Amino acid sequence: METVTLTIDGQPITVAKGRTVLQAAIEAGVSVPYYCYHPGISIDGSCRVCVVKIEKMPKLQTSCSTLCADGMVVSTREPDVVDARAGVFEFLLANHPLDCPVCDKGGECPLQDFSYTFGPADSRMDFPRRVFDGEGVKADVDFGPTLMLNRNRCILCTRCVRFMKEIDDDAQIGIVDRGAGSEIATFQEQGVHSLLSGNLMDVCPVGAILTRDYRFKSRPWDNPTVVDTTCTLCSKGCNTSAWLKAKPEWAKGSRLIRMTPRYNPDVNGYWMCDIGRFNYHWVEGESRLRRPMTRNGDVLEPTAWHDLQPRLRDRLRQARGSSESAASSVQAPPVRFLVSAHASTEELFVLKQLVEGLMGSEGLNAVTLAWTTSDKAQPAGTKFKVSRTNAPNVNGARDLGYQVGAGNEGTPDLSALRSAIESGQTAAVYVLDPGPDGSLGDTSWLIAARQNGTLPLLIVQGAVMTDLASAADFVLAGSAFVEKDALYTNDQGRVQAASRAIAPPGEARDDWSILVALGQSLGLALAYESAIDVRRALAATMPDTPYASADLLVVTRPVAARNWLQASNPSERWKWDFLYQDLPPVKGHSVQMEGISPRAAYIPLKLTE
Amino acid sequence: MTPYAPILTSHVGEPNSYSLDFYVTHQQGYEGLRKALTQEPGDIIDQVKTSGLRGRGGAGFPTGLKWQFVLKDTPNPKYICCNADESEPGTFKDHVLMERNPHLLIEGCAIAAFAIGARVAYIYIRGEFYHVQQILEAEIEKAYAAGFLGKNILGSGFDCDVYVHRGAGAYEAGEETALIESLEGKRAQPRIKPPFPAVAGLYQCPTAVNNVETLCNVPLIVLNGPEWFSGMGPEKNGGPKLYCVSGHVKKPGVYEASMHTTLRELIYDHAGGMLDDRPFKAIIPGGSSVPLLLPEHLDTPASFDDIQKAGSMLGSAGLIVLNDSVCMVWLAMNLLHFYRHESCGKCTPCREGCDWLYKLLARIEGGEGQPKDLDLLFGVSSNIVGKTLCAFGDAAATPVLSTMTLFRAEYEAHVREGRCTLTADWRAAHPVMAAH
Ligand SMILES: Cc1cc2nc3c(=O)[nH]c(=O)nc-3n(C[C@H](O)[C@H](O)[C@H](O)COP(=O)(O)O)c2cc1C
Ligand code: SF4
Ligand code: SF4
Ligand code: SF4
Ligand code: FES
Repeated sequence: METVTLTIDGQPITVAKGRTVLQAAIEAGVSVPYYCYHPGISIDGSCRVCVVKIEKMPKLQTSCSTLCADGMVVSTREPDVVDARAGVFEFLLANHPLDCPVCDKGGECPLQDFSYTFGPADSRMDFPRRVFDGEGVKADVDFGPTLMLNRNRCILCTRCVRFMKEIDDDAQIGIVDRGAGSEIATFQEQGVHSLLSGNLMDVCPVGAILTRDYRFKSRPWDNPTVVDTTCTLCSKGCNTSAWLKAKPEWAKGSRLIRMTPRYNPDVNGYWMCDIGRFNYHWVEGESRLRRPMTRNGDVLEPTAWHDLQPRLRDRLRQARGSSESAASSVQAPPVRFLVSAHASTEELFVLKQLVEGLMGSEGLNAVTLAWTTSDKAQPAGTKFKVSRTNAPNVNGARDLGYQVGAGNEGTPDLSALRSAIESGQTAAVYVLDPGPDGSLGDTSWLIAARQNGTLPLLIVQGAVMTDLASAADFVLAGSAFVEKDALYTNDQGRVQAASRAIAPPGEARDDWSILVALGQSLGLALAYESAIDVRRALAATMPDTPYASADLLVVTRPVAARNWLQASNPSERWKWDFLYQDLPPVKGHSVQMEGISPRAAYIPLKLTE
Repeated sequence: MTPYAPILTSHVGEPNSYSLDFYVTHQQGYEGLRKALTQEPGDIIDQVKTSGLRGRGGAGFPTGLKWQFVLKDTPNPKYICCNADESEPGTFKDHVLMERNPHLLIEGCAIAAFAIGARVAYIYIRGEFYHVQQILEAEIEKAYAAGFLGKNILGSGFDCDVYVHRGAGAYEAGEETALIESLEGKRAQPRIKPPFPAVAGLYQCPTAVNNVETLCNVPLIVLNGPEWFSGMGPEKNGGPKLYCVSGHVKKPGVYEASMHTTLRELIYDHAGGMLDDRPFKAIIPGGSSVPLLLPEHLDTPASFDDIQKAGSMLGSAGLIVLNDSVCMVWLAMNLLHFYRHESCGKCTPCREGCDWLYKLLARIEGGEGQPKDLDLLFGVSSNIVGKTLCAFGDAAATPVLSTMTLFRAEYEAHVREGRCTLTADWRAAHPVMAAH
């Protein structure tokens, strides 16, 4: 790699050729403010706060648009730079409403943070402020189905404009009028309609673009913990962070407060889609399964695990026994498994041992994988394509030897299972689906088979009360992806880990442990104590594959959102994980967990090329 | 008055001066192009360099050098963009050239394209110049028909197309990179430089942006030789020059002269002297964006270098002459009304600063100003200068900084008296203007 060496504030810094002075400063931990610059989109040079002094150059230069050169001498702290920068901050705030107390960005706002550090102590502006749509939060106007816009707060950095043009490939946002009258607008005030709309709240450095989902829901100091995890709502496997609101156990409302993208240049860059961002409410929603249940006549009754397990064992034994006389038990196994591709690799690994323990090496034939696919309406040239497959782990299942059909992500094929059930050859079906409702696709035929008696026994292990679960004889409360440490293999074949951000509710259990307990009750020697145990065993059985080192993937625990800017610009958090910036720490939080492994294992330190 | 026979505007007063026949018969029309096509493109650039031709659009940058910078080794097409946006207050020379002598520009475009290796020239014309566009387009058609444009021009194998593109009416569209953006169909907002247009301009291809008057000089240089051109005027300030004289003079208008000509000659000889014979107070010598000059500068030759030595800039050679009736606070306010309206809004200091300056000036002019406003005015202007994305910011702050430096007493009087003290008699005679 070609490098250049320059000095910034007297400190020699060597960076890759092609880096800008701002990028070099960031890499070296020199704090230079910026608004229009965003590492994921093109350079604009318009906000002017990143000015620095460069020897031999006549004027102050914007560091975001100046390439590093060998021997360059840069200063960010000399009085003329300090004054010039403060002058730009005064301009930025001259017409800004400063309604931080009612602004959702307040507390994690780069405009606040950088103004405190680099702006003048007070403003000399004494004219009435420019107002667009009203005052205060009444100025919030609809900005499409997912967003709200507050033009008074906008600093016209045009990040949103460039995001829509360059990443989304549909330039829905533009600026109308010019000069001091410039305002962000969409055609005929239609707002933004895009699967990537949520990213606009991340790229917006102020509280001008807000997601309806997060609006008025929390304040940054109320959600001090963040867990690095992976989205499981499609096979892309975006690296994400789950934000948790601090709240006592007994208080109402959910802990999971928002999902934001986490930088991974090889998977999702700085972005994630709206499906993954907004579709997390089911995890702590009304229909979440909190305890196991067994059928008693027409009703499902809550049952303690220790009461349920012997009953389940007996019914399964009975089901297997009923057809032991049948000649071709391998071709027509009496107990069949319908498994959603939302199951993690650990769960699939334990399940494989379970079915092979029960049915021998042909055991996997008794398992059918299911998932759904859908075309996501996106512009042809989008830089962020959401996958068709609405499940995270088809490739993980394939790698373990499950039949998932041809093609990179396969095609679900339930026809054999369905005919085996509808022809009355199957004594029991065990469903494993830790995904949201609908993950298995159409299950009405299965419900019908159970209800008309063609299928004598239905067991459902999952996270939410679906129609299928309500038709079951046994319902086993498992866990959703943010409740467990779990591996998923995305559509590129990358083995990635989701982390346990919150505990499963009530008596719900980790899915692998439910399967282990079931196996043990059926007399199998499945001896796993923890999720990491399973992961180690998995790694040991798959040498020379990416899984061989899966046990080294760091399991993260909730960590403190360590400083204000880290919180404020989630898409740029990678920087704060490795690089020091002299900004004030988060005030008033207590959860500072020590001894966390560096997250380098998750986030390679690399700028987008 | 130094004796001088107009060249660029020699026939503009005559009927049909715009027509192709007239141009060919009276102005050696397209002989420069014919001559150029027998030479190497590099030779043309050398001649323009030797001539010392400097850009007439504002910055006075040597045109030959600009062409030389246009990237040679590229698989991409190259472009000539003629800047015909002419929106600088006090500037109206390109208008005359395009309306009365359009073929000179068309010929200049073709030679320039030949010199830099372009096959296409765009004339980006100001939104309000609708009828000029119609004349230009009609004459371009005739040039095609006569074989001066199009394929295989004059049998040389050189192809060149010229298109006219009318802007939507924004001052900022005259800034060269904003012009390029606008040509591409985007908002007329400047790009960060580097890369300069010579490397990545229109459609990211190498591009030379030249003013109308600049390009009109090119056929003359090719035809008469670079020495002829440089000999006409002070060193490094050669060639014929158009001056737009406006304001308090008896005969405002476009005057052609050599750059030996002094400001005094332009005002008193060419433009007939001061209106109503009132005393001269100040002059803005280069369009509204440059600092004012005072009576003691009247004998300065109106050349790029001499005006710069005097503390201002020749800019677009728009001379705005002001007599003693002009209140300098009002002048600054008037100009800031323009700049505030025309700021493209892309960068923070100019977008927020121009609006703020205008409000301050209006307050002071209206007699509501306080002593602190004067420091503030100076502070805000200084926070704009040198900190913006394009030169507009400097241009907008200049009227304020210049009037404050030269006429601070007038500002102080406004604040102290709560009114304008200067022009009571003039105001009485001009009630409509006084209402400002
Ligand atoms: C705000 C602004 C407005 C400008 N307007 C014009 C204009 O109307 N016409 C023009 O020729 N140049 C204008 N310029 C100068 C151009 O950017 C550019 O320097 C010029 O077109 C180059 O041509 P020249 O080298 O032939 O002068 C403007 C510059 C700025 C910063
Ligand atoms: S809405 Fe936000 S991202 Fe868009 S221009 Fe305004 S401040 Fe920037
Ligand atoms: S693209 Fe897929 S993995 Fe990424 S956020 Fe959307 S649903 Fe989740
Ligand atoms: S200085 Fe003014 S005109 Fe130039 S880019 Fe900035 S806002 Fe636009
Ligand atoms: S970050 Fe450099 S100008 Fe905006």
